[in-house]
Amino acid sequence: MNGTLLLQSVIVGITNGFVYALVGLGIAVVFRGTRIINAMQGEFSLVGGLVAFVVVESLGWPLAVATVAGVLAGGVLGFAMEWLLVRPTRRRGAGEESYLLLTLGVAFAISAAVLYFIGRDTRSLPGIGGEGSAVLFDAAVRYHAMWLVILSSAVMLLLRLFYDRTRIGLSMMAASIDEDGAATIGIDVPLMRSLSFLLGGLVGGLAGVLVSPLITIHYEMGLLLTLKGFAAAILGGLLNPFGAVIGGLTLGLIESLAVLTVSSGYKDVIAMTLLIVIMIFLPNGMLGRGSRKGG
Amino acid sequence: MLRAEAIEAGYGGLPVLKGLTFGIERNEAVALIGANGAGKSTLVRALCGLLPLTAGRILQDGREIQRLPAHQRTRHGIAVVLESRHLFGELSVRHNLELAAAHGERHGAARRKFRMDDVIGLFPFLGGRLDASVQLLSGGEQQMVAIARALLLHPELLILDEPSTGLSPKVVREIVGALATLRSAGMSILLVEQNVALAVEAADRAYVMSLGLIVQELDAAAWKGVLDDEALLQAYLGS
Repeated sequence: MNGTLLLQSVIVGITNGFVYALVGLGIAVVFRGTRIINAMQGEFSLVGGLVAFVVVESLGWPLAVATVAGVLAGGVLGFAMEWLLVRPTRRRGAGEESYLLLTLGVAFAISAAVLYFIGRDTRSLPGIGGEGSAVLFDAAVRYHAMWLVILSSAVMLLLRLFYDRTRIGLSMMAASIDEDGAATIGIDVPLMRSLSFLLGGLVGGLAGVLVSPLITIHYEMGLLLTLKGFAAAILGGLLNPFGAVIGGLTLGLIESLAVLTVSSGYKDVIAMTLLIVIMIFLPNGMLGRGSRKGG
Repeated sequence: MLRAEAIEAGYGGLPVLKGLTFGIERNEAVALIGANGAGKSTLVRALCGLLPLTAGRILQDGREIQRLPAHQRTRHGIAVVLESRHLFGELSVRHNLELAAAHGERHGAARRKFRMDDVIGLFPFLGGRLDASVQLLSGGEQQMVAIARALLLHPELLILDEPSTGLSPKVVREIVGALATLRSAGMSILLVEQNVALAVEAADRAYVMSLGLIVQELDAAAWKGVLDDEALLQAYLGS
């Protein structure tokens, strides 16, 4: 193994890691605001990516407009999901497991709808900054990958500030920690839950737009992203969106180094085995108990 | 200022409040006493909007409020400290208080406003623990945070559900002292308590509750002598 190959693998690992982190971030946002494990987070990305693709390819509008449309599509789907399905289910006194089944069911339904209406064909968005690459010590770094890291980092930072410094962010946290306590100080708890799904959807939509130039959009993309996002979020500590970044980067790097040292066919086996080992020794996530408070 | 008329409420079709009627006037402190299972906490949840009524009505200054959700009732001058406090344990004391203050800012301009300095004046320990995580505080400290949080909503009526449960006598004294200060400032208080001795000290009069109904109303004179009324204590409190 030479140094350039190793560096190239690290770059790929970091890029994939930020993708997983963004999806995991969305899962953590929804969980933090509602205590619901959202198994359709990847579908926000699928829908966001598809909407952006339609705006760019069918309407011929600029990528910036497509990006906004894709992000908003994820947000609208998230809000609609909470309002139309989660809220009535909660009103009937559903337990936690019901939401997992509900979101998983909707994930499969969206995947099937994409297969039915759009088919098995794969689609790809143009990258931000074009298709070119920069060279770093003989390793190639796509301009889009750089934008992905920059934009993902900005979103993570903004989310942290949102939860720590804004009244609405704190209210969303409070509503999920103690519904009765929140309601009795004037917080509209159902609205906060809707906003958490909206925010999770926006993050998911952005992930969809950012990953689509790297991995093609197809009907099964959502479930695959959800699985990796779950791993990232749980690894970092589900209550801490910032933890998803650590988890995502760890996962991405393990995968890419596994490809380099063993075989691409074993990358998921090696990554998941290591995750199991990490979770045995660090059951509260890689950031420990502190991750449950952080933002 | 607050009147409940023939209210009924319960859980899963099981009635707990069975046509209960009572009232509290402006600038008075009223105790609600009763044995375990009398329905006191259920009444508190119904008053603050966490439990819907199945019958009856709740009037605040003549206006029906029973259909308002809990988060809107705080705007009408009713603040509650629930049993078990219901604080946001993962957040700091400062965030717990600031959230209430932010929501309280929008409430009635005519009401007395409580600022952060006021609640720190009432419970001085808060000043040094603002950045501490609530879940790391003692039970007594958490109770004071809960009362401070309710005050930052600028209430006209403060409802407290079993504020002395599980607290040391020293902390209970501190809370009784704070309630006396609030009383002298003109705040109305509904104190739900099993600790009759504490309730006698803090309230002007009382209602006795049993099996979802008000079974006795004690005026000021009867209330002050209640600790000597063994028949009543035995009948309704089992002590």
